[in-house]
Amino acid sequence: MVEIDEKVMNKEVLEMAFDRCIKCSTCKYSYKNFEKSCPSGEKFLFESYWPSGRIRIIRGVLNGELDWTDELIDPIFACTTCGACMDSCQAPHADYIVEMIEALRELAVQHIGPAKNQQFLVSRCEESCNPYGEPNSDNEDLKKKYNLPDKAEWVYFIGCTSNYRQQSLRDATLRFLKKAKIDFTLVDEHCCTSPMIRTGQLSIVKDYMNYNIAQIKNAGAKKVITSCAGCYKTLINDFERFGEEMGFEIYHSLELVKQLLDKKKLKFKSGYNKIVTYHDPCHLGRHMGIYELPREIYKQIPDLKLVEMKRNRNFSWCCGAGGGVKIGYPDWAIEISKERLEEAKETGATVITSTCPFCKTNLTDANNAYNFDFEVLDLMEILDKVEIEIEV
Amino acid sequence: MTISKKSNAFEKIGKAEVLSRLIDIFGSTNVSNKQVDLYPYSYDMTENEPHMPDFVVIPENKEQLVELVIFCNQYAIPIVPYTSGNNVGGLTIPDYGGIIVDFGKKMNKIIHVNDNMMYALIEPGVTFGQLQKYLEENYPHLRYSYPNAPPYAGVMGNALLSGMTNLGAKIGSMADSVNGLEVIIADGDIVRIGSCFYGKEEADLNSWWSRYPMPDLLGLFVNWQGMTGLVTKCAVQLWPKEPVEKPQLAIFFGLTDLAPFLREVGKIDIINDIAAFSVEVAKMEVGIPEPVKYPEEPYYTAVIPISAKNEEHLNVKLNLLNEIVEKLNHQGTNIHLIDYNEFSKLYDLKARNIYDLPSQILSLHEYSGLTWFGAYAPTDKFEELIEKTDKIYKKHGFPPFNYLKIMKGGHYGIFRPIFRFKRFTERERVLKLAEEIADTCIALGCIPYKTPSWLTAKLREKINPGWIRLFEKVKRCLDPNNIFNPGRWNTSPSSNKN
Repeated sequence: MVEIDEKVMNKEVLEMAFDRCIKCSTCKYSYKNFEKSCPSGEKFLFESYWPSGRIRIIRGVLNGELDWTDELIDPIFACTTCGACMDSCQAPHADYIVEMIEALRELAVQHIGPAKNQQFLVSRCEESCNPYGEPNSDNEDLKKKYNLPDKAEWVYFIGCTSNYRQQSLRDATLRFLKKAKIDFTLVDEHCCTSPMIRTGQLSIVKDYMNYNIAQIKNAGAKKVITSCAGCYKTLINDFERFGEEMGFEIYHSLELVKQLLDKKKLKFKSGYNKIVTYHDPCHLGRHMGIYELPREIYKQIPDLKLVEMKRNRNFSWCCGAGGGVKIGYPDWAIEISKERLEEAKETGATVITSTCPFCKTNLTDANNAYNFDFEVLDLMEILDKVEIEIEV
Repeated sequence: MTISKKSNAFEKIGKAEVLSRLIDIFGSTNVSNKQVDLYPYSYDMTENEPHMPDFVVIPENKEQLVELVIFCNQYAIPIVPYTSGNNVGGLTIPDYGGIIVDFGKKMNKIIHVNDNMMYALIEPGVTFGQLQKYLEENYPHLRYSYPNAPPYAGVMGNALLSGMTNLGAKIGSMADSVNGLEVIIADGDIVRIGSCFYGKEEADLNSWWSRYPMPDLLGLFVNWQGMTGLVTKCAVQLWPKEPVEKPQLAIFFGLTDLAPFLREVGKIDIINDIAAFSVEVAKMEVGIPEPVKYPEEPYYTAVIPISAKNEEHLNVKLNLLNEIVEKLNHQGTNIHLIDYNEFSKLYDLKARNIYDLPSQILSLHEYSGLTWFGAYAPTDKFEELIEKTDKIYKKHGFPPFNYLKIMKGGHYGIFRPIFRFKRFTERERVLKLAEEIADTCIALGCIPYKTPSWLTAKLREKINPGWIRLFEKVKRCLDPNNIFNPGRWNTSPSSNKN
C-alpha cells in the first residue's frame, strides 16, 4: 500500500480508493433507472472523466504510475461533484465517492493547481471574504432595513450567492422570517467554504469555519437558518468532517416553512396559478437526502400545479454549477443546465424552481443563453409572491 | 509507469503521425493519447498484468472503423475493442499497447427490435440496463437474458464470450442465442454473417433472424476475444416474458447436495435458471457483511427463477421441483425450498439484486479486485469439483465462493470459483489460489471461458496439437498482421510469423 502524507485532509478516503471499486461502471447510469446521470462522463466520454476513472487516477498518482502534469487538470476538476455516482453505486464505498474526488483535488492543488480560474475562489475570499470578489457586506445595512437585533436565537446565514448574486432570494427569505416573527439576526459572514472544499483548495477553510462559528456565537444564536443548499450541506456535513464543532442547530429555510405548515401556523391567502417543476439541488437532494420536503410545500400552495421532470429526486440531472464547474468551465456549466431546461420543457411547466441560489443562477444563465422562456424562481421567492399569514 | 510488452507497432510509423491520422478519422475530441486518459484502460478488476494503450478512440460509426482497421493493418498497430471492461478476464488490457476502441460511449444504439421473430439488433456498446429499459418501455412482453453482471456491462461482449444468462437452464450461454453479426475484418472488408447475409448493401433490419443453415462463420468470431475482427452489429434473441413468476430459494445442508439437484432439475425443463452460491458469500446478499459459514448453516444456496404461462402451469412446475427435492432427500440429501419472494421480504431491497437482474451483485463489488476461474463443467464431476476446491480455499485462507449453474436442459454445467480481493495488496495471494483451483478444475475436464492469457497458456499444454494448429491457421488467415487484440490466447505479435 502506498504511503499518503498524514497532512492530507482526506487521507482515509484516498486509502479507500485502493481497496474499493472494481470499475463495474454502475456509477455511470442512475441505478435501475438506466438514465444518463454523470454530466462529466457524458460530456468528455473517456473513462478518466467518470467516477471510477477518477478513482483510478487517485491510484495512479499515488502509486507513481501517473505523473502530475497539467493533463490531469480536466479529468480531476471537470466534475460537478453532483453525487449522482454515489446514488448509483451500490458498493461499500458509494457514500465516499465525492469525498474521494475532493481528496484527489486537494492533492492536485498541491501539485498542479486547480482548474483555470478556480484559484480566484480563494484569492477573492482573501481580499473580500466572498468568492465573487464583491466588497464584503457586513450586513449592517440589512439589519437596519429589517430592524434586526444584534443578538438573537437564530442567525440567517445568507451565503455569498444569495447576498451578492441572488438578492431577491435573500430578500424573500428575510421578509418570510420577519412575517414568521422569528427572532433572528444577521452576522458579518465569511464564505461558508463550500467552493474551496469542492475544489480542493483548503488553505483558508479552517480559518473561515472558525470565524463563522465565532460570529454566530457572538450573536448569541442557537439556531442557524440558510436558504442556500450549498451552505446547508457545508455547515452540517463539512464542518463536522473538518473537525469543527458548532453546537448549533442548522436549518434550511424550507425546513422552517414545512414546520410552520405542519403546525398549521402558515396559511395561504392567495394562490400561485402556474405550472411549476422542481429541480432538486444536488447539495440538498443526493448529498443531504431531502427530496420530499420541498415537494410537500409546493403541493400545499393553492393553485400551484407541480409537475415532475423525467429525472427527479435522486435521479435528477445536475444543474451544472457545482464542484467549481461554474467558474472553471462556465460554458459547459450552462450546457448542463440547458439539458435540464429541455427536460423541464417537456413537462409543460412555465416555472422552474429550486431551493438553491447556485442552481437558480446557473439555470437562469442557461435560460437566457439558450432563449428558454422559463421563470426561474426559488421556493422562497414563490412564497414571497403569494399572500401568506403566519400565526405566531 | 505501466508499460506494454514489446511490440513493433510503432517501428513503421511514428506516434505523432498515428495521432494525426486518428484525429482525421475520429475528430480531436474522440481521440486521446494523454496518459491520464489512457491509464484507466490499462488494467481491470482482475489479477492480470496492466499494460498501457498508446491511444484511445471513441468511434461513432463503422465507416470510421473501416478506415482505422485498414490503417492499423498497414502498420501492424494493435486494436483492442472495449465496451466497459467488465469481462473478468483481462481481455481488454492492451498487452501490446496500440489503440483502445471504446465502443461504450457512442456506438451504443439499439438499432431494431423484431417483435415477431424476437430479436434485437444492437451496436457493441449497448448495455444490459439499457436493453432492459428499452424493452420494458417499448416491448414489455419481451425479455432478454441477463447475467449476474453489473447493469453497465455490454450485451454484445458477453454474448460473443459465451457469458451466462438468467435463462441459462433453458437456452444455454448467450453465444447460443446470437443470430448474426456485422464484422470488419483485417483488410477492411465488412462481413455480414447469419440470415442477414443477403444483399450487397445494408441488410434489411428484419433479416437478422437466424444463424443457420449456412456455413457457420459466426464461429470465427464467437469466443475469439476480439482476435479476428471488429464486430460492429450483433443480433441477439429475445424471449417472451412469461406473466407468472415465482422464484424459489433452495438451501443445501450437505456439502455436495447441490450436485445431484443441479443434474436432476436440469433435465426436466421447469426452471429458467439456477444461480447457486457458497453460503458464505450468499449471506452477503442479505446484508451480512462477513463471509463466514457457521457449523449448522447450509453449504450452498441457490436462487431459481421460475416463470410460467399461468398459475396452473406454474403449479405443475413447482410440484415437479418439489418432487425432485423429496426424491433426493429420500436418497440422503438435505435440501429445502423456500419461496424467494417471501424470503426477500425479510431484508431490504438489495436482497433482490441477485434475482432482479441486471443488478450490482453486492458480494462481487466488495473490494477493488475480482476474478474467477469461470468454466464450463462436466456435471458428473460437480461433487469432486466442490470437494476439492473447498479444501483449496481453506488452504489459502479464503472463504469458499463457488458459483454453479446447470445449462441448456442439463447438457452441461457451469463451475465458477470466484475470488474477491484487494487488488493492490492481495494480488499475489489470489493468483496462487486461482492457479491451484484452475489446475484442479482443468484436470477434471473444466473448460474456462473469458480466459486470461495466463490460463490459456495452461490450456495450450493440455489441448490436442491439431486443435492448436488449426486455431493458429485460422488466426493467421483472418489477422495476418496480428492487429486484433494481440496477446489473447498467447498470440504475441511474433506468433503469426510461425
